[in-house]
Amino acid sequence: MQASRQRIVGRQWLESSKRRVAREPPYRYFSCSQRQAQTPPPPKKSPQDGPASTTTHFGFETIAEALKEQRVGAVFSSVASSYDSMNDFMSLGIHRLWKDHFVRTLNPGRNPLTSPPSSQDQGWNILDIAGGTGDIAFRMLDHASTLNHDAHTKVTVADINPDMLAEGRKRALNTPYARSPRLAFIEANAEALDAIPDNSVDLYTVAFGIRNFTHKDVALREAFRVLKPGGVFACLEFSKVNNALFDAMYQRWSFGAIPLIGQLVAGDRDSYQYLVESIARFPSQAEFSGMIRDAGFLVPGKGYEDLTNGIAAIHKGVKPVGKGV
Amino acid sequence: MAPARLATSLPRTLRAATIRPAAWRQQRSYHSYDYAQPPPFPSAESAILSSAYAHVPNHGFTIDTLKLGARDAGYLDVSTNLLPRGVFDLINYHLVTQRLALHSNVQFPDEAEAGKKMGVGAKVRALTLARLRANEPVIHRWQEALAIMAQPTYVPASFTELARLADEIWFLSGDQSVDSSWYTKRATLSAIYSAAEVYMTQDTSANFVETEQFLDNRLQDLTRVGGFMGGLSEWLNYTGHSTINVLRSKGARI
Repeated sequence: MQASRQRIVGRQWLESSKRRVAREPPYRYFSCSQRQAQTPPPPKKSPQDGPASTTTHFGFETIAEALKEQRVGAVFSSVASSYDSMNDFMSLGIHRLWKDHFVRTLNPGRNPLTSPPSSQDQGWNILDIAGGTGDIAFRMLDHASTLNHDAHTKVTVADINPDMLAEGRKRALNTPYARSPRLAFIEANAEALDAIPDNSVDLYTVAFGIRNFTHKDVALREAFRVLKPGGVFACLEFSKVNNALFDAMYQRWSFGAIPLIGQLVAGDRDSYQYLVESIARFPSQAEFSGMIRDAGFLVPGKGYEDLTNGIAAIHKGVKPVGKGV
Repeated sequence: MAPARLATSLPRTLRAATIRPAAWRQQRSYHSYDYAQPPPFPSAESAILSSAYAHVPNHGFTIDTLKLGARDAGYLDVSTNLLPRGVFDLINYHLVTQRLALHSNVQFPDEAEAGKKMGVGAKVRALTLARLRANEPVIHRWQEALAIMAQPTYVPASFTELARLADEIWFLSGDQSVDSSWYTKRATLSAIYSAAEVYMTQDTSANFVETEQFLDNRLQDLTRVGGFMGGLSEWLNYTGHSTINVLRSKGARI
């Protein structure tokens, strides 16, 4: 029994790795150089990067920038169906508390009972980036409708990955918003949100997504572009644990247990190995808050709020009003 | 490799520290006569809070007040996220601006003109009363604020602000003590001020004369208790020394 189970797991693992290998396009110099010529070079590369400026990190690996998008896409395509249960296993359910807290602090929705009725716009226009499975979007709409009695706030869920969006559409059928104009799904790259006009969004959220972006600074500037003056950029992301002892335990858990859980539950060890590595590579709270400030945002207070001792953190930035930006 | 990285990262951190000094954060913890204090809040927060403050008498210390203030200042409802502590930031705004306003609101007559010197006690009374009167516009909403300030998350910040107020009052009244009475003065004034503030929320008398009376009584208690404590410590000091001297005269090796 035990041995057969191990064999099955092993086979799943082998198959999944084969599948992933098959999905990756062959490495061709011509295609790479073409992609690099098309994509504008990321600005503000420090000189120490030197000749390696066209590579980026994929977990602990260093790969060509042009490949990162595809590799991340492959990871999330392979985890899309088991995304929710895996999050529960990995975070022991705590990710739900983080997401609830994230939405509660943002307090989305315009209460018609307390706000002046004169205003031209009703409700908020929320853009949820990398929110394919709709986790944040449904919470936003629930909060707006039930707590703020707001029937107009709408959420646009944007994700680069069609598999995650399909998962979100499927889950939306179980909510009251499935066929309402308040919820929309679009496939878009956060670094080039061509479908979203300038100064049109009240609230830009990205939960557990920005660490997978190839150019975080480009994405931040794109967020700055689409937000209305006074609009808020809010990001929920894994971060750095403050306490050394707790950090040691956390590193044990994330590098020991999470890939194993991924292998057992989702049959895909490598994707979860990437997840924990990308968490470890993400900049610390203060650094990322500095990046938000560099993109032109005002940050509230120190700029971030730690959750569960810094395992995750909420970062916020407000687009300034009336400074000719 | 390592020294090279250090060399490149060091100037960057230095530059980051010098280019964006966040002037409003550089609050001095002492009273400087030579440098003006920077404004207590950054400009965007200040704009939202000051417009929101005008709505407090009607809407109280609530998130709705903040949203109305943000709209008045040209921001959006969502911009209230700029204030990480929400409504407490509005309360804090009231506390900080009123504390800093004391300096310009209360002017003592020049000693030479007035002929008679105004004592430190009288100055403390005048300043404390002026600070209590600054609560008048929002006093019918002040219990909401006290309830929020008493939430465990905000208790440390509230006490810090109370301590700063007591310190400000003693400083403006010209107190220059450097002994342990520095602490007792601030502690007792904090207690008296907060008691008077709570009393004031229930005060229905015209022009808050009862609050004034309450404050006078508490300050009187303080001088009485202070005098008693002074006498007690003098007596203890004298008796202790005498006892030791008597024992020494009897040959005890102390």
